[in-house]
Amino acid sequence: MKLVIDGVSKQYAGKVWGLRDLRLELRPGVVGLLGPNGAGKSTLMRIIATVTRASAGRVLWNDADIAQAPDTLRSVLGYLPQDFGVYPHLTALEFLEYMAAVKGLDAASARKRIDELLAVVNLAEARDRSLGGFSGGMKQRVGIAQALLNDPELLIVDEPTAGLDPEERARFRNLLSELSGERIVVFSTHIVSDIEAIATDIAIMGGGRLLAHAAPEDLLRAVEGKVWEWVIASAEVPAAKQRFLISSSARRTDGVHVRVVSAERPGAEAELAAPTLEDAYLHCISSQRAGVAA
Amino acid sequence: MNGSGASHGRILYQLARADFLERVRRYSFLFTMGISLYLGYAAATGRLVMRVNDSRGVFNSAWIGGLMALVSTTFLTLAGFYVVKNTIERDRSTRVGEILASTPMSKTMYVMGKAISNFVVLTAMVVILPISGIVMQFWHAEDSHVELWKLLAPFLLIALPAMAVVAAIAVLFETIPWLRGGFGNIVYFFAWTAALTLPVVGAKNGGTQFFDWSGLSVIWSSLRAAAKGPADHNGFSLSIESNTAVKAASTFRWDGVHWTSSLVFARLLWVAAAVAIALLAAMLFDRFDPSKERWRGVAAPEAGDALESVAAMQMPTHVTHLTPLATRAGDFRFGAILVAELRLMLKGRKWWWYAVAAGLIIACAATPDASARGILLACAWLWPVLMWSSMGVREVRDQTSQLLFSAPHPIARQLPAVWFAGVVLAVLTGSGFGGRALFQGDWRELIAWLIGALFIPTLALAMGVWSGSSKLFEIVYTLLWYVGPMHATLRLDFMGSAPGTAATRVPFFYFALTLAIATVAVLGRKRQLQT
Repeated sequence: MKLVIDGVSKQYAGKVWGLRDLRLELRPGVVGLLGPNGAGKSTLMRIIATVTRASAGRVLWNDADIAQAPDTLRSVLGYLPQDFGVYPHLTALEFLEYMAAVKGLDAASARKRIDELLAVVNLAEARDRSLGGFSGGMKQRVGIAQALLNDPELLIVDEPTAGLDPEERARFRNLLSELSGERIVVFSTHIVSDIEAIATDIAIMGGGRLLAHAAPEDLLRAVEGKVWEWVIASAEVPAAKQRFLISSSARRTDGVHVRVVSAERPGAEAELAAPTLEDAYLHCISSQRAGVAA
Repeated sequence: MNGSGASHGRILYQLARADFLERVRRYSFLFTMGISLYLGYAAATGRLVMRVNDSRGVFNSAWIGGLMALVSTTFLTLAGFYVVKNTIERDRSTRVGEILASTPMSKTMYVMGKAISNFVVLTAMVVILPISGIVMQFWHAEDSHVELWKLLAPFLLIALPAMAVVAAIAVLFETIPWLRGGFGNIVYFFAWTAALTLPVVGAKNGGTQFFDWSGLSVIWSSLRAAAKGPADHNGFSLSIESNTAVKAASTFRWDGVHWTSSLVFARLLWVAAAVAIALLAAMLFDRFDPSKERWRGVAAPEAGDALESVAAMQMPTHVTHLTPLATRAGDFRFGAILVAELRLMLKGRKWWWYAVAAGLIIACAATPDASARGILLACAWLWPVLMWSSMGVREVRDQTSQLLFSAPHPIARQLPAVWFAGVVLAVLTGSGFGGRALFQGDWRELIAWLIGALFIPTLALAMGVWSGSSKLFEIVYTLLWYVGPMHATLRLDFMGSAPGTAATRVPFFYFALTLAIATVAVLGRKRQLQT
């Protein structure tokens, strides 16, 4: 099972580039796709999900070009788009039955699968209620259930935690982690904590390009010895922000504790700290921005 | 007070401006202007003809101004309504409305701003016509002396007040929940037909012209006096003809409407009426309050539901059980998709919808008179129009396109299922007519009926896929239905409902057209998939 993104570019009207020569090879596991808003994550998701076509390059699913034979991928694909709708007059059960038919599931398998999925996303009691009356989080869970209907080999979830409360987000992460197994899960987000614990490898995007693709440990290694804990007076914070990349800050009684990502020690009192994925991500993004600015 | 007045004026201006700019930057605006350009072209080249008792006026500024103004009040009051009736809906669907609702802006201010924007868009459509009028005057070269007042007065005093009324009615329809959607589109068509003809009929019979919102009888009365012909009540006509030669037995000179103060006042009253209609709309406007959307048949979450969603309906910490699928998804189950599409199409219909449909089926089957049976079939096939008009549109309207288009074979499976569901609906609702033809062994009538059952959903699907809106089909179909089957116009009798149609080649023409339109629908869906 292999998904290869081979030099994919996407150009929109007005010569705006959404993606530029992106290359990526994915194997079973959870791939965390990180990047700021506008990095091109959703464009890439839509291309992989066969919803839109690349302007250049190819996406290969088990060596088959999905632009030439999209249905080979579609039959094993589960897709949860960032923005999606539901038919408001249908109940949750009716909507999933409809999606099961469209995905080509046989009636008996569909019925069993829908029952199980409604239990998994805890909507069994709401199965006969109109989707129009569902809250945002409940609709998102219907979306998750439809994505899992055909037991997909490739599961693409684009910003799936949007609209979920913190507790629901944690539960969703667990659900994905348990479901990953022998399938490729592409989890796109701009929130590092969403994928920190579950991603087997991480791809970082910025400005439509791939900035890094590595295991979380390798990304952490890249910023080892570059993360500092530094206590400064609040008046010094603006100057520090000008000079250094600050990944977080917290006000305490002894001053402001800032976390600095820098190759050099920012101040005499600064102490080395263990890097987090957030530090690695910010380092990667800021390096790209510095490169663009230069 | 002045400051407040200036502030209100600024808000109104900004509201109308933003709305107008949002519209003119859409491709649909080009289509809108295309309608006007075509009408201007048709008039200038002599395809659009106005006659009084088979005579026409000399092509001078007054005649051309009158003709163009009547073109505005007859054609553009229909097309224009459908063009502008989406301004509040756009704010609703884009959720901008919720942001606006949280500002101090009053409902009156908002609705008036929208009505003004509607009026500006309609005026932009109308303005093309006087320009065409000048071209027309030189084209025909019967009287090349351009008199600006005579050319423009009908626009200013007839067309623009009528457009103000249309602009306000469009906003009113958007603020009345049951007129907001497709039902409102059809209601307007019939209301427009009645509102355009009744005042003229009244004026012909010596009645009052007070309800002449379109200004048709103002011009008609003046023309009748100038033509000096016999007082033929059916002598006035305005039509689009394929032959460019302006055929008329004779010509006469018309120097335009003599604008008395009472006539001007009567026309300006319609502007006041438009303001009153917009104010009524403001009173009815729900200010985007979702709790007032129960009419849609979707229950808004209640307090109890919300609590339930927070407490009891959290996702479980661990996956309870998920059995792997024994067989790989991807098997072709057309029946299942068809049933699902049919259910989607019929969902939300109340019992009385089925009762009326059943009544029409029985009436069709039981009526011995062929003409009456034809009219009943036309009614039976107007009844499901709002279900057909959703075909090819739902994916865009309900934002499910990404889910459906990433499923296997979206063109080979889902699209035919949507189409066939529409055909099943046509066959069921028209079964009284088709069943009787079958029972009587009238194969020609049966084939013509069947072609009608194929043609309607095919047209709906193609228009839905290409326009992304149910409005286009609702308008075109209702117009076709009214002019064709309801008036037994042979060439437009796509249902084969009128006696005699089945014996002609007309049904086969519609069969060929159905095949062509089906191809267009498939191409449209392919285009959506390849975006």
